[in-house]
Amino acid sequence: MLFILAWRNIWRNKKRSAIIIAAITAGLSCGLFASAVMYGMYESLINSTIDRELGHIQIHSLKFEDEKILSDTIPEFKSVLNEIKLLPEISGLSSRVIIEGMCSSPTSSSGVRIAGINPEEESKVTTIRNLIIEGNYFNTDLSPEVVIGKKLAEKLDVKLKSKIVLSFQDFEGNIVYAAFRVAGIYRTESSLFDQSVIFVNQNELYGLLNSKEFSHEIVLRLNSFEQVDSVFTKLSKQFPMLSVKDWKLLAPEIKIYYEILDIQLYFFMGIILFALLFGITNTMLMSVIERIREIGILIALGMKRSKIFLMIIIETIALSLVGGFAGLIVGVIIIGIVGSTGINLSAFTEGLSQFSIATVLYPVLPLSFYPVITLMIIFSAIIAAIYPAIKAIKLKPATAIRTY
Amino acid sequence: MKLIELTEVSKIYDETIVPVRAVDNVNLQIDKGEFTAIVGPSGSGKTTLLNLIGGLDKPTAGKIFVDGTDISTYKEDELINFRLHHIGFVFQAYNLIPVFTAKENVEFIMLLQNISRDEREKRAIDFLDAVGLKDRINNFPTELSGGQQQRVAVARALASTPSFVLADEPTANLDSVSAESLLDLMEELNFKHNMTFIFSTHDEKVIRRAHRIIQLRDGKIEKDITSKSNYPINS
Repeated sequence: MLFILAWRNIWRNKKRSAIIIAAITAGLSCGLFASAVMYGMYESLINSTIDRELGHIQIHSLKFEDEKILSDTIPEFKSVLNEIKLLPEISGLSSRVIIEGMCSSPTSSSGVRIAGINPEEESKVTTIRNLIIEGNYFNTDLSPEVVIGKKLAEKLDVKLKSKIVLSFQDFEGNIVYAAFRVAGIYRTESSLFDQSVIFVNQNELYGLLNSKEFSHEIVLRLNSFEQVDSVFTKLSKQFPMLSVKDWKLLAPEIKIYYEILDIQLYFFMGIILFALLFGITNTMLMSVIERIREIGILIALGMKRSKIFLMIIIETIALSLVGGFAGLIVGVIIIGIVGSTGINLSAFTEGLSQFSIATVLYPVLPLSFYPVITLMIIFSAIIAAIYPAIKAIKLKPATAIRTY
Repeated sequence: MKLIELTEVSKIYDETIVPVRAVDNVNLQIDKGEFTAIVGPSGSGKTTLLNLIGGLDKPTAGKIFVDGTDISTYKEDELINFRLHHIGFVFQAYNLIPVFTAKENVEFIMLLQNISRDEREKRAIDFLDAVGLKDRINNFPTELSGGQQQRVAVARALASTPSFVLADEPTANLDSVSAESLLDLMEELNFKHNMTFIFSTHDEKVIRRAHRIIQLRDGKIEKDITSKSNYPINS
């Protein structure tokens, strides 16, 4: 009955309640949308990093992690590959040769990471094949082929079919020079990656190094993102003498961002609710002041002050939750609509590429966000209700019942 | 049977600045079943006296006994509990909870007394029936006339099964027909159920019907008139 009383009290002054509910709805839905945009940016950052280079999990030799020396290869990598292939969660598996070297054109040169890949295998793990903007992803009549990023092409001032020279150390420490032809130019969301990573067929590298097949890096792509933790645990146990890392360990800066993002967003929503809190307090205070006589009568009749306090708290929570739920629904609808169409940020391509963020942004919020927001609304309502509730319980019934 | 006893009760406001003796050394006894009106000009102390008897205020000096218990020493929480279980209040008009129906208004006081839902509903309907409003139980106060609202207030006061009913100017906002009708009801309840009614009033209609009239002036009892002929037969 106390809940009925509180609920009906809210609607006594419909206009006033509607105004504060509208304020909560607008504040919350805008806050949710802004959070979803931030979350979408973060997802874009993770996805582009995973899709572009990391994959879900990578395996290296223990020493390669530290120094990335050519000789720090994965021991018996083929048997490792065969074992991993047996896992049902695997959707793509690529073995890479990674060499730090130089890339020179007639006009310029630049330090690069040379990724020796099997193009077919690699295309099942990363999306470079789909990001080719000029030329082809290998399989041209040019030989030997190299696929480079747009930014590097601009820096070296080279075009398709241009010749570039790669130089790097072989196993003995001698410098190897080799001319390659640009078969394809890609562009990812990261200008840094585009400038510093080039792809060649790993067989070319084996030939140049006069070596048998070897691997520095095994990259796995799984059927779904949710499988990462379980497969990572499984592989870590299966290959204790190798370095097994999931994307969070491979890109710790993203992991840190991931960890603080939720806190950032909750803090952001907290600021919005804090601002709304004053409006709610004002509304409830007016409501209490208008009902001094009525509250006085309730106390006179024998309603305990703790119940009066509770009644004001319930009224405030109910008022806030009506606005809160309306805000959540409006927010979810906006996020749903914009999340399916995306926000085209192509006008800011240059700036976004510095941060590896896609030019079409899809706002998204994890479901776990909503119950926390609901709790935050309730918490804010309780805080907002305290002053009006104290005002109510301090009323003296003898004088309050004669207030008109 | 002695129901209420005031012994040398005083209430002084603004003690530190200009003391106002709203109730000044009053000795009073009210028995079970009385139908008593406290009268007097404005500022004579009627409301203060009623507040003291009703546990809405505490005396500066003296003792107030209700059913043999001294309530003048009660703390705030004890007074709330005392009011809930011992006193039925009927204030001036507009004292119902506007967002509750007539039935809910009557039920609410029983909810505060932790009476079960079924019992509450049954008693609320019975009391509203007793005050002649059985067909208006689901009406909100705004849908009832002033007289009907006061009848609901009487039903609410009785629903808590109080020791006595305090009515502060209950007819002040009613037209003469509604006022007479309300007084008929109260008189009947007094007569049939021996319910004690104590009024604070200016209203001639109430004064005319009262069986005892306590007249105050400057916080003191000026006259205490008992009209034996008006007493109910079973008193």
